[in-house]
Amino acid sequence: MLTAFTRAFRTPDLRKKLLFTLGIIALFRLGSVLPTPGVNNENIARCLQQAQAGDSGNIYGMVQLFSGGALLKLSVFALGIMPYITASIILQLLVVVIPRLEALKKEGQAGQTKITQYTRYLTIGLAILQSTAFIALARSGQLFPQCREEILIDKDNIFAIVTMVLTMTAGTGVIMWLGELVTDRGVGNGMSILIFTQVIAVFPAELLNIARQKGAFVFAVVIITGIAMIALVVMVEQAQRRIPVQYAKRMVGRRMYGGTSTYIPLKVNQAGIIPVIFASSLLYLPQLVTTLFSNSAEEPNQVVQWIEQNLVRGDTPAYMIIFFLLIVFFTYFYVSITFNPVEVADNMKKYGGFIPGIRPGRPTAEYLNYVLTRLTAPGALYLGLIAMVPIVALAVVGASQNFPFGGTSILIMVGVGLDTVKQIESQLQQRNYEGFLK
Amino acid sequence: MTIGISIALILASLLMILLVLLHKGKGGGLSDLFGGGFSSSFGGSSVVERNLDRLTIITGVVWFVCIIALGLLLKP
Repeated sequence: MLTAFTRAFRTPDLRKKLLFTLGIIALFRLGSVLPTPGVNNENIARCLQQAQAGDSGNIYGMVQLFSGGALLKLSVFALGIMPYITASIILQLLVVVIPRLEALKKEGQAGQTKITQYTRYLTIGLAILQSTAFIALARSGQLFPQCREEILIDKDNIFAIVTMVLTMTAGTGVIMWLGELVTDRGVGNGMSILIFTQVIAVFPAELLNIARQKGAFVFAVVIITGIAMIALVVMVEQAQRRIPVQYAKRMVGRRMYGGTSTYIPLKVNQAGIIPVIFASSLLYLPQLVTTLFSNSAEEPNQVVQWIEQNLVRGDTPAYMIIFFLLIVFFTYFYVSITFNPVEVADNMKKYGGFIPGIRPGRPTAEYLNYVLTRLTAPGALYLGLIAMVPIVALAVVGASQNFPFGGTSILIMVGVGLDTVKQIESQLQQRNYEGFLK
Repeated sequence: MTIGISIALILASLLMILLVLLHKGKGGGLSDLFGGGFSSSFGGSSVVERNLDRLTIITGVVWFVCIIALGLLLKP
């Protein structure tokens, strides 16, 4: 393992890529701790401490996780990549609904570039909305409901407020650019590496928190379960069903093509962690709406009361059931978006490939669909169960909501980690070296 | 002084947003996120892209300096 690392660093272009990625990560973390001008840093630190002690302040769980603790600090990169993720989700959903976008998607590379461009515009739009919302929350003191300190230095100065909103919006733009730079010139997918960074960044602090608050025994239990879960997640992430494909030999001019047998790898968890992100983003909406529109003056109506009782805290039965069902639904939804059996079957037919025992064309598509549907069932269940773990842990150990070995964080860490290592390895293998994974 | 740097920061922010949007988006959206699909990188970048990069970096540095300066000035 270690020798592979030294080899990776000894390869000139790979070393350049790795150092570039590390540099971007460093810049990104720097922006995540740099406070936006106009924010009273000391008061925020005091409020954060109160909120952590109170334990009920963690209503922004998911967003806070993705921003690596930067959100509540109102730093320059406070919004993190959340706007980009939300924009991507919205566009993914819109592709199914709007025919024009669907046509664009079918165009291939050019259309995809256009959709990406729309995603980028939407990201900036969402960033403006969200930064305005959070600054407004900070201004009215609702960001930390229990805390009475002034978060903003000069909260009545509209000019200063506008500056802050614009700075945070530009910060989101910069994050987007950094992510694209990593994708382009670094290792792995930029956006996922940035999420990975933020998840890892809060990790040691959360672990220390548990060790300090709950004692050594609980700490040991947490570590052991965590390692077991990582092993499990790695196992399922690597699991795939290989559908054999035989290619017929054909002559083009004087040369012989094909005649090989390969396979289509179908992963058990084809959708990755996207369903979990979708589901938690959706479930976070009612919380946000109730926080934004609740004023203490009047008695909240029944809907609001129900939402506050059932959807704000993660340990109620209603929340768990809805979360689980949403994850299962989105797993199927996302797999059906990303893998189109008809298209795969058509492509195979075009190049003279077939699955042994099944006729090319429609029967092949039906067979692929059948296998995929059956394969996704355990995948969806697994995702749902993994995502439940932090909630169960919340009930058993009494850990905070962003429990360090929480399902989503583990899925992100393992998923992105595996992917990046695989990419580095494929680059190493171009030079005939032995890789990380044997 | 504060007002001046604030205005500079606003301008730098706007310019930064504009420049980032002018870049061609690399890596197609969410489908690449969290493992899935293969990433295709096609060759180097054009002269326009390289100049845009340079401009964006310069603006980014100005933006960063403005933030730090304003932050120090406003420190209570």
